[in-house]
Amino acid sequence: MKPAPFEYCRPSTVDEALEALGSSESSRVLAGGQSLIPAMNFRLTDVSLLVDINRVEGLDAVTCDSGGVTVGAAATQTRVLEDDGAASVVPGLRAALRHVGHLQIRDRGTVCGSLAHADPAAELPAVAVATGAAIDVTGPAGERRIDAADFFHGPFWTALEDGDLITEVRFPAPPPRSVTIVDEICRRAGDFAVAGLVAVIEVDAGAVRSARLVGFGLGGVPTRLQAAEAAIGGWAADHPVVTLTEAVMADTTDAFDDIHAPNWYRGEAVAALTVRAALRALATEEEV
Amino acid sequence: MTIIEPISEANVEVTVNGRPHRHRVPARLLLSDYIRDTVGLTGTHLGCEHGYCGACTVMVNGDAVRSCLMLAVQADGAEVRTVEDLAPAGSDALSPMQQAFHDNHALQCGFCTAGFLMTLESVDPAEWRDPERLVELLSGNLCRCTGYQNIVAAVTEAWNAYDGSGGSDDG
Repeated sequence: MKPAPFEYCRPSTVDEALEALGSSESSRVLAGGQSLIPAMNFRLTDVSLLVDINRVEGLDAVTCDSGGVTVGAAATQTRVLEDDGAASVVPGLRAALRHVGHLQIRDRGTVCGSLAHADPAAELPAVAVATGAAIDVTGPAGERRIDAADFFHGPFWTALEDGDLITEVRFPAPPPRSVTIVDEICRRAGDFAVAGLVAVIEVDAGAVRSARLVGFGLGGVPTRLQAAEAAIGGWAADHPVVTLTEAVMADTTDAFDDIHAPNWYRGEAVAALTVRAALRALATEEEV
Repeated sequence: MTIIEPISEANVEVTVNGRPHRHRVPARLLLSDYIRDTVGLTGTHLGCEHGYCGACTVMVNGDAVRSCLMLAVQADGAEVRTVEDLAPAGSDALSPMQQAFHDNHALQCGFCTAGFLMTLESVDPAEWRDPERLVELLSGNLCRCTGYQNIVAAVTEAWNAYDGSGGSDDG
């Protein structure tokens, strides 16, 4: 399988990249290419111009401070995975990236590219929603900052317009005394998950104080488990599991129902992941 | 090199296994096809050509990458290593990892082997040591013959040989 013919350019500044993106109707940004090139090899996507941003100055930066981690558009997943500073400020990044593809994919694939691709079963969009990330976009309409909660519109569909380029994403640090857990049910290591969960859980004195729970692989966009977030406050290890599982089941009634898993299975899987995450968060507090 | 005006063909300069190459290639040419058809090194095998099987894994600037998911034009200025570069030049000897694969029957048809070898070559040998880490490392390469047991055995033997030779600084 080979891609159909297309034109290619490799700008060195963001302005050049934007001009190129605007010069053709079906232009696409080429970052890691780990989803785009397969789609082109399969001829599932029609691309007339690829704008390779890998040599745009400054786009591959990863910067950390106590408030969060900023990842540039061309920074690879391996680069972020191996960054000890990023892992300590936003633990969900390393936890999620361990599940993303394989070594060879992460060596090329980018964090921002995964957000722009918006695969419903991908981990990083759920991390973005769970941590309240902000996505910086520049394009024909100028620069803007989009909250992760508003960014994902549907499967492979985001707030990005034609000619837009993500320049960077900012993942804020989770609250102090919180534990971030990324867990998933997956048939083969490295594959997309049947269902998964990103949980940012605040614990206090042996009980869950509050949590941000975001499922993936459940629907077209990362799924906030709002009933479960309400039910988990005050939950402790000796509390009945059913209060959590029933809430998750209520949150996932619309979950995907397909050849990989029926809808109820995905709900039960995420319910189990939620209980597991809460228990792990509580056990982590005891260790500290 | 910057390319501002969209092009459908470009000149690339790629170092493959230490030898510089210069070619004019179509933008659509995949790195995998460049290595096999343009440079003429057919040790890199193409299985699925959509990034699933790992057979076409090569090293680009030291990183393991799937050469079917990268364009040849993107490798302009890069150093590429393929399986042909593993064995010492000018002798019949194999690299220690290749020899361990041979000794442990870690291949049957051999189609996937180059990809496994390049994945293993790209990481710090300390990563061969931990069985759990090793399974994760090898998860990006599919083998339909061996069931992986003999591949893991080969890597373990290669690690023991490497470790015993004083190659490790921390193990």
